[in-house]
Amino acid sequence: MAAPDELFCWEGDWGLPSVSTDCLVVLAYAQFAGAPLKLRKICNPWRSPSGSLPALRTNQKKTLSRPSDIIIHLRKQKYNADYDLSAKEGADSLAFISLLEEKLIPALIYTFWIEPKNYVDVTRRWYAEHMMFPLNFFLPGRMQSRQLEKLRLLRGDENLEAGEELEKELYQDAAECMNLLSQRLGSQKFFFGDSPSSLDAYVFGHLAPILKCKLPNGKLQQHLKSLDNLTDFCSNILLLYFPRDGRENSGEKTSPQPDAADFDNVPNKRRKQFLSAVFAFAAMLSYALLTGMVSIQHAHQEALEEPPDPEHIGPHDHEEEGDG
Amino acid sequence: MSLAAEAFVSQMAAAEPWPENATLYQPLKDDQILLSDHASSLAVQAYLRMCGLPVQVVCRANAEYMSPSGKIPFIHVGNQVVSELGPIVQFTKAKGHTLSDSLDDVQRAEMKAYMELVYNMLLTAELYVQWCDDATAAEISRPRYSSPYSWPLGKILAYQKQLEVRRKMNAIGWGGKSLEQVYEDVSQCCQALSQRLGTQPYFFNKQATELDALVFGHLFTILTTRLTSTELAERVKSYSNLLSFCRRIEQTYFEDKGS
Repeated sequence: MAAPDELFCWEGDWGLPSVSTDCLVVLAYAQFAGAPLKLRKICNPWRSPSGSLPALRTNQKKTLSRPSDIIIHLRKQKYNADYDLSAKEGADSLAFISLLEEKLIPALIYTFWIEPKNYVDVTRRWYAEHMMFPLNFFLPGRMQSRQLEKLRLLRGDENLEAGEELEKELYQDAAECMNLLSQRLGSQKFFFGDSPSSLDAYVFGHLAPILKCKLPNGKLQQHLKSLDNLTDFCSNILLLYFPRDGRENSGEKTSPQPDAADFDNVPNKRRKQFLSAVFAFAAMLSYALLTGMVSIQHAHQEALEEPPDPEHIGPHDHEEEGDG
Repeated sequence: MSLAAEAFVSQMAAAEPWPENATLYQPLKDDQILLSDHASSLAVQAYLRMCGLPVQVVCRANAEYMSPSGKIPFIHVGNQVVSELGPIVQFTKAKGHTLSDSLDDVQRAEMKAYMELVYNMLLTAELYVQWCDDATAAEISRPRYSSPYSWPLGKILAYQKQLEVRRKMNAIGWGGKSLEQVYEDVSQCCQALSQRLGTQPYFFNKQATELDALVFGHLFTILTTRLTSTELAERVKSYSNLLSFCRRIEQTYFEDKGS
């Protein structure tokens, strides 16, 4: 038997097998199609064979990066979740995946990477905490500028900035997209009958992060939660195909909570402040001594020499007055 | 368009009926206009003809710069200017002309999804073939784009546009695709459209909708535009029901044009 292909993807959190949409799409499809993949969950995109995540390294040492390419590769290996679809259903899949890409992805990029509070409090913190030194200093920032450029190119507006109007537009498009998906899903378990297909993988990959991640500005999540059939759809897939991830991550969630209240989240803050003050004082003192602004030895010698003079004259006066 | 502007335009639109002197602006037809722009313009023209709304087509060299969103085409109706098919459909809806009223919710969802399919795959493929394929860009796209301007302005603008489109392709993940893969994607898209159309005269029952206008605009333009290679047109021609669909719409709505 040939060795299974290796899939490099981002680590998971908040009850999800991975935090990145593209990784979730590939993972979900692999589960639906029953493809045996060797999973490598990492937090360092530089260690992946293509420099970005997700990345699939095949037996023939070829590297694939786009989710659509990975799915096509798995299909060629006879791991096909769309086998039972009719031609019309296949056409509908393609159409709804395009709908997701055009209407939902801009809002996803905005809510995770551009919206200031979400980015600083959740996204950047998560990536900085999970990446190793020294990547955690510059890589989240670089990822953010790439996402901002992608959003600018998608919208065709070079001077796009975070703002309320942009947010409203993007969220309105996303809400419409979610409504359309909800109407198409109806009361079915999956989009096409009883077994999931690639469209289910794409929808799950895009909606699951919105559903599970607790963001300060959670308007998308609110709208998604109001659509019961989509919420049940995501929870169902998590329960059936990713049971371990759901249980593992819910235990860890309690520990970060107390730290969240800490304003700066810097460990040993007092000790660091004290040490910095001591270091600064020592530096100033040594500078003063070395340049001669303060000279300790000279002051002592002068103090020893001067007082004896008045003492020496004093008793002479007494004796002269006493005699005369 | 921002939400507030949209609401304002809808309100103003509802106030007046469609005037006789509505105009549609596009770049110069013979020398300047490119495949993707011509497709979008034809789609809007088809849609307006399907609604029975009269519009004059005016060609201007600076149409792209006149447009409020920078995209072709745009229409000038009364004292309002609206660009791109999506906002134009909403604009005509505010004036009381709509083609998709008789659709139910699921059908409307499918219509919107298929329109996004055309934008996502066909339009992107057209842009790729025009600007990211070196042969086509050098022989056709850059000369045509720079034709109204004198040297060196034309050259600078053409290269600027090419750079912008290439950056967009990289951002959406099409930068790494080869031309062959792009043609495959076009085939897949046409197959999906062909499946959806089946043997019906239009995509939804017997009535034309904006989806029909959009598909017609893109497919007809691909079929009738001369590029460096005929591969793109060949891929579309292999689906006979799409060919007869284009012919039918041309005969029904454009018969006086006689192109």
